[in-house]
Amino acid sequence: MKKLLLITLLAFLPVGASQKQNILAEDMRTMLSAMEAIQKGGFYNCTSCMEEGVMQLKKGLGSIKSIDAKSFLPEHEAYAYKFAQKQAKMIEMYANDLIDSLKRGDMQEAQNDYSLILQQCTSCHLRIRQQ
Amino acid sequence: MNRRSFFKITAATGAMIAISPTLSGTRLYASETTLYTAYERVQLTDAEGAPLKASALKKEVNYIFNYPHVGTPTMLLDVCDPTYKDIKLSAEDGTQYLWKSGVGKNRSIVAYSAICSHQLAHPSPADSFIQYVPKGQVSMVAEKGGMIVCSSHLSAFDPCKGARCTAGPATEPLASVVLEIDENDHIWAVGVLGPDKFHDYFGAFKPEMKEYYESARKAKKLVEESAITVTLNEYSKEIIQY
Repeated sequence: MKKLLLITLLAFLPVGASQKQNILAEDMRTMLSAMEAIQKGGFYNCTSCMEEGVMQLKKGLGSIKSIDAKSFLPEHEAYAYKFAQKQAKMIEMYANDLIDSLKRGDMQEAQNDYSLILQQCTSCHLRIRQQ
Repeated sequence: MNRRSFFKITAATGAMIAISPTLSGTRLYASETTLYTAYERVQLTDAEGAPLKASALKKEVNYIFNYPHVGTPTMLLDVCDPTYKDIKLSAEDGTQYLWKSGVGKNRSIVAYSAICSHQLAHPSPADSFIQYVPKGQVSMVAEKGGMIVCSSHLSAFDPCKGARCTAGPATEPLASVVLEIDENDHIWAVGVLGPDKFHDYFGAFKPEMKEYYESARKAKKLVEESAITVTLNEYSKEIIQY
């Protein structure tokens, strides 16, 4: 809840670029740990662990969708924030599909959704972070 | 079935395919190493269903129609004066094929699969990261414009040379949609030349297919008879281009 308020506040207040960057970095760490949880859940056939991971992942998407990254991205990458936002939407779509797959008991499709999420993450990192 | 019936059926099927290759619906490797898939012959129409005329296409405007599948967008352009001829292109696996040229009076009309050969970016009703950038308009990968640019990972393709990749991480051309223009100046799509990405595309965008076409199965259905053609601005809510 606190984080949600903070993100809403950031959208309306002129907050420094580094502060925005810190929030984004924190969300990235959240997403990384969420991806690990989903993967681990897949290895151990733990549906609830995977669901938990998906919920965590979706929380982490908040700042990518709301923070205007133009202010701290390098000039030649400034407009790539649109691409990041698109990837965030795709991740959300695959995350929802992963939950549907788990509900149907289709673990193979859930694993497929996981790999597609991972692909969006790496695609964005290659495009924006270039490392 | 006796031997005589078997030969009759085989001969009849062979004759039908010889008359109309589109009946086979399979991948054909011609002797000159072209890589071609024949699909249903489909007429391009405007949003009201009236046949689209080749001479009525606006220069350097991005048009989109879905072909050969209900969920696969294709880009139609009238851009070159004229296109180059007999361009040799290669798929990632080394298969070579020959892109003959554009169609129309000035050989200036071309159509390409709007699914990027790199990571499958494509126009959707929500947005499009891929589009033709008109001549004289600057983009990050095509300083003088006149290129199809995918702004996802910044690849550029030359529409006048069979959509050969000219910049960026893409390693293959865009697949070309083969067009025919009849005596009434109407445009028809008849097949796909080059390495299409349809299989990967349907695998990767299953949830998106559900969202826009009800199910992946419906999105995979082949287009029959006609395909509505609209401008990219009408097809996608937001166009993103760097």
